[in-house]
Amino acid sequence: MDLDLRRRTYAFMVETGRAPQAEELGDRDEVLSGWRELHDAHALVLNPATDEIRMLNPFSTVPSAFRVHARDRWWYANCAWDAFGVCACLHVDGRVEASCADCGEPIAVEVRDGLPDDESLLFHVLVPASHWWDDIVFT
Amino acid sequence: MNLFRSEEHIARWLGGREPGATITVTKLSELAFAWWDDRVAPDWTPHTREQNQAVLDRLGLVGEFWRLG
Repeated sequence: MDLDLRRRTYAFMVETGRAPQAEELGDRDEVLSGWRELHDAHALVLNPATDEIRMLNPFSTVPSAFRVHARDRWWYANCAWDAFGVCACLHVDGRVEASCADCGEPIAVEVRDGLPDDESLLFHVLVPASHWWDDIVFT
Repeated sequence: MNLFRSEEHIARWLGGREPGATITVTKLSELAFAWWDDRVAPDWTPHTREQNQAVLDRLGLVGEFWRLG
């Protein structure tokens, strides 16, 4: 696994708020080859149709139902777990915005020192842990 | 991996499907901060399955449902 490529990919995301295109990190073919290895190792997730980055967990590189305001920027996360993960990996407070998956009512949670300001909400995970990576986009 | 306003909302959303696991958003935040803490660190190295399982265990997320593959 090319940990230096992974480091540069995440650094680009954190610095710019978006995933890099392969050619922004070096020779396109070499970068794509490295990303495919990282994808196979579950260190990032590629869009199988385009070879573009789909997930730099906990970040989503495409708009999602989980938005996070942190470090003076809005980010997208892949799921509720990842939304809190954005604050966690950036080591900052933030605001998670989503909606109740049942009724669609908006949900906004301030995260301060690692704790949410609304303790009444619940998180449900449907897929058992042993199958999370069977289809990570569905999970 | 979704948020809900209450158990009633989860039951309605499931619509008869087999439930997974439900935890409070406070526990979720604890989990996220334990799980993702080093993800963008320059010296990050891959976590082993055992390391990840230990995070879940430490937070009381135990049992077959939380057993990583």
